Amino acid sequence: MKKLKISIEGMHCASCASNVEKSVSKVSGVKSCSVSLMLKKGNIECEDKINIEDIKKAVAKTGYKVVKVE
Amino acid sequence: MNGENNSNDDSEIGSWKKKLIWSWILTIPIALIMLSERLFGFELIEMPYSVIVMLVLGFPVLFIFGYDTIKSGLRGFFTFYFNMDSLIALGTIVAYITGFLSLFDFIADYSGVAAMIMAFFTTGKYVEAKARGRASAEIMKLLQLGAKSSIVIRNGKEIEIPIDEVVVGDVMVVKPGDKISTDGVVVKGESSVDESMVTGESLPVDKKKNSLVIGATINQDGILYVKATKIGKDTFLAHIIDLVEEAQGSKIPIQKLADKITSVFVPSIIILSILAFLNWLIIFRDLSRAIGVAVSVLVIACPCALGLATPTALMVGSGMGAKRGILVRKGEAIQTMKEIKTVVFDKTGTITKGKPEVTDIYSKIKEDKLLEIAASLEKLSLHPIAHAIVVKANLKKYRKVTGFSVVRGKGVIGKIGSKEIAIGNRALMNDRKIKYSDFNSQIETFENSGKTVMIVSEDKKVIGVIAVADAVKDDSVEAIQRLNSLGYRTVMLTGDNERTARAIASQVGIKEVIANVLPEDKAKKVEELQKEGFVAFIGDGINDAPALKQSNVGIAMGTGTDIAIEAGDIVLAKGSLLGVVQSINLSKATFRKIKQNLFWAFAYNIVAIPLAVFGLLHPVIAEIAMALSSISVVTNANLLRRARVD
Repeated sequence: MKKLKISIEGMHCASCASNVEKSVSKVSGVKSCSVSLMLKKGNIECEDKINIEDIKKAVAKTGYKVVKVE
Repeated sequence: MNGENNSNDDSEIGSWKKKLIWSWILTIPIALIMLSERLFGFELIEMPYSVIVMLVLGFPVLFIFGYDTIKSGLRGFFTFYFNMDSLIALGTIVAYITGFLSLFDFIADYSGVAAMIMAFFTTGKYVEAKARGRASAEIMKLLQLGAKSSIVIRNGKEIEIPIDEVVVGDVMVVKPGDKISTDGVVVKGESSVDESMVTGESLPVDKKKNSLVIGATINQDGILYVKATKIGKDTFLAHIIDLVEEAQGSKIPIQKLADKITSVFVPSIIILSILAFLNWLIIFRDLSRAIGVAVSVLVIACPCALGLATPTALMVGSGMGAKRGILVRKGEAIQTMKEIKTVVFDKTGTITKGKPEVTDIYSKIKEDKLLEIAASLEKLSLHPIAHAIVVKANLKKYRKVTGFSVVRGKGVIGKIGSKEIAIGNRALMNDRKIKYSDFNSQIETFENSGKTVMIVSEDKKVIGVIAVADAVKDDSVEAIQRLNSLGYRTVMLTGDNERTARAIASQVGIKEVIANVLPEDKAKKVEELQKEGFVAFIGDGINDAPALKQSNVGIAMGTGTDIAIEAGDIVLAKGSLLGVVQSINLSKATFRKIKQNLFWAFAYNIVAIPLAVFGLLHPVIAEIAMALSSISVVTNANLLRRARVD
């Protein structure tokens, strides 16, 4: 289990943040995801062997962009 | 390290501003054309030319300045991830198309309305983005607190390098007024340092050789030479930032319902608007009206007010906390706090300074001899009391100790030569069947004045006692008095003996004492107290971690161990108990604000949506109401700053 922090660009409303949460949570290996609209950041709890690209794709699907992964 | 955050925000506000100005330049003529008959009594431009002009002026408003909104909104119809742009996009496009249709005399023209909706939407977003920026001002300031560069000594020369290039062991030169770039220890120089930005402590703290300094704090008057001990992610500031960010992402139970609604809100509204459309079309056979109503429903519904209610208030609240050295780690603590009935304190390091000093020695042998034996054993222990004895003895050479072991919560044992030494409290002596009745009256006298007594025995005979006192923190008395007068049940939970504990408790005004608690039993005692109501536990040590977790709200002293901080829901960077009072006030005020916001957001949608469905709101009025609702929620969150928390 590990924690990832992603910075997301383009969100501007509450349903945006909730869309990202829903989409990222569906990625296999992701345990939980909570997105803060205020900080434009998402905290993800996931398995160690997660594919970052999958998460980026899940965010892109909702119309936003991952600009940084920590 | 987070410098891009701010520019991001500014660019968001800036881009809304640009769009807003251009949208209105084009929309004002549209509004004049639409309203000319009502305003001036004649039509500025006659039909159908007016429609054509409005379509031409409206096009850039929607599809150039509103491009991002339209694009992001329409994407929802392909991916089924709808957001509030979907509502605006659908509403404005439908309204715009009526302009073309009206040229063929089908229906009323709403194309001007489309532009006005977009212009008001942009305005609302601009104001909201600004208010959100204000709400996060303190937190953003904290995130950007880190130094950007540092002056270090390399090869005997002072050079300025970017902060990323500083390595552990570098000696930094910190001039008066400069920011200390990273955590370190002073190797040369004396000065005072303003640590208020990270600990909330308003008075500058004196620093001299071997003092620890925190990165991002400001050097006041002297030059300090500081050896870097921690960099990047390991620094105190980085930890604080992690805690704060974690809190912003954490969910508060009361928000759950709002979140659930937000996630299904937009598709539900689209369906509702279609139903309203069909209703007006089929029952009232009025296509124009049906379109107007459908557009009103689309643009009045506002998931934003619901979604912003909690995070904005939480943001303002945690910003106010951060300024005072109160770091809320779990948002849930804000909701739980109002249920707290009992406040339980650990003693050492929480109520007291946690820096015990030897005050009295009572011995049957020579004092030096007693201290030598005691210090030789205690040297091997990490306990603060052990440290006090070692400091007092101030030995150059220690005796050789064999078979040393720590008896948790009781003391230490070991052998010096062939002699069996045991140092500890009564429990240790009782366990080992060592009689101390000769010393009892002396022990009780020390304990009655709040001192902790270590009994020293050699070969099962007591040879002396060492009394250690740990001074009460300056503001512990005031803090506990205020908690008492607020009606909280205050309890002290300590591993120390009953008498010492009671003496300290009466000094600070705590009425209930649970003493002689073994470290592993602290959590169990908290659990017992929880049967009579919610418990907040305040502690700082490794052995407090389970109790911090067990309690309903765990408040960890930031001056304590990392393990305790990890276990706390709230961390007090300054380590003052007044922070407990402030945390309670702040949590209550923040939670009240969240409730207010959620109430207004729900009330708004519950009242406004039916009005739109029944055709009582013009689409433009609907859009204005929508923009105002989300602005008012964010503005109300900003009003939290007026709350009294100190």
